[in-house]
Amino acid sequence: METFLHLLEIEPIRLIISFAAVLFLVLNLAAVLTMAERKVSGYIHLRYGPNRVGPRGLLQPAADVFKLFTKENVSPGRSDLWVFLGAPIAMFIPAALVWVVVPFAPDAVVADINVAVLFFVAITSIGALGVVMAGYGSRSAFSLLGALRGAAQMISYEVPLILSLLGVVMLSGSLSLVDIVKAQGDTIWTWYFLPQLPMFVTFYIAGLAEVKRVPFDLPEGESEIVGGFMVEYSGMTWALIQAAEFASMAVMSSITVTLFLGGWQPPLPFLDLGNFNWVWFGIKTALIMFTLQWIRWSVPRLRMDQLMDLGWKVLVPITLIWLFVTAGAMLIF
Amino acid sequence: MTVAFAFLAGMTLVSALGVVLSRSVVHSALFMSGSFLGISGFFVMLNAPALAAFQVLIYVGAVTVVILFGIMFTQRPQVRRYRTIINRQFWAGFLVAAGVGAFLAYVLSAEDWGGTKPGNGPRQVAAFGRDLLGVSQGAEVFTLLFEVASVLLLVAVVAAIVVSRRKMGQGIDRGVRE
Repeated sequence: METFLHLLEIEPIRLIISFAAVLFLVLNLAAVLTMAERKVSGYIHLRYGPNRVGPRGLLQPAADVFKLFTKENVSPGRSDLWVFLGAPIAMFIPAALVWVVVPFAPDAVVADINVAVLFFVAITSIGALGVVMAGYGSRSAFSLLGALRGAAQMISYEVPLILSLLGVVMLSGSLSLVDIVKAQGDTIWTWYFLPQLPMFVTFYIAGLAEVKRVPFDLPEGESEIVGGFMVEYSGMTWALIQAAEFASMAVMSSITVTLFLGGWQPPLPFLDLGNFNWVWFGIKTALIMFTLQWIRWSVPRLRMDQLMDLGWKVLVPITLIWLFVTAGAMLIF
Repeated sequence: MTVAFAFLAGMTLVSALGVVLSRSVVHSALFMSGSFLGISGFFVMLNAPALAAFQVLIYVGAVTVVILFGIMFTQRPQVRRYRTIINRQFWAGFLVAAGVGAFLAYVLSAEDWGGTKPGNGPRQVAAFGRDLLGVSQGAEVFTLLFEVASVLLLVAVVAAIVVSRRKMGQGIDRGVRE
């Protein structure tokens, strides 16, 4: 046992095993979140949601995965096959890769790189490429419309997303997520969401738009363009797109928690669990994910012009003003 | 290390060939993102993760997506013939490319690289930023370039507004009136 544990500390083995663990986590998270989405929607609509498979419907994800694996994978006859099949992969890989820099607990991070914030921003920006590929590869008007909307939305909301990160980077003086979590301290009022409240709200809204969830689900737009860029997908390719959507939603929640809500830090010093502080990380991330689902069933979809107005005329000015306020406050105090 | 280099070089070169030779413009743009990803892999190998992240963020995440966006807005999906790809300028283009390649090979091999090793540069992001903004001991020319680039972007934004604005009394005027 001892030798086996030492084996885990050797560098390439540690990296490979921890990355495989993170990938396993992401895939399962996507399955569980699918069920959570249906359950939450059920309770918000005053019904039960899925309740046939297993106790209170808890085994529903297993049934879903089995169904999707056995479904036929149809592609349209005129589709651009390589682009069509490559798109789900190009959407899933970025969503899974960002988990590499998320610190789960003290010293529990796959790769502590010194530009982790930059890495997160760079990798999430690839996601738009997958959407464009899906829309073009399908060769269908609805897909193309959805992809154009998706690309426009994701490029626009990257601006407030990146700008709202800067306040945290200025306060902590580091681009490493591990250092940012350490700098926030183990009491709830020293976390960055209080001094950076406008930035926190902006990051949350921009993140919501970046993962294309409900008030901003124009690329999908079920009631107008019947599913947008993913209308032609079926079976495993569709499942991969869904997994990518849920994984990126989980990534956005975990990055929100890491940057603004203290990561794995306990809310009060006496609640410190040592190596088990990942429990705090999990609780906070789950809460943020629940609010994302709550919003989905409470808020109607925006129009395209309202979406652009919110991004460019509200969120960007807020972040710019708060950057000046933060810089001024740092200069004075 | 050699295997990784061979993989990245192969990926970059094959993608670059794909950009030039593929028959659809959208495929060219997608191949271009592969080539950019290969280059960012080289930056990672050279111990410059910040540059790799910038490469991915700007070239893969922004430039390629905007190019694809432009293509899909302006053209319907169509196929080019090889006749149009390899046209009359084949030999002229070949000569220019070979000349540039030979010149670069000569300059790079004639240069005395001394004790330069990958990863010798400033790996600290803070020092890198200070160098770039010219507040450290080093050359201050980068500050000037930084400002010039921002002026260029301003010009581009103003030009976009001028180009896209409707003239008075032409069609439906939905924009801001002067």
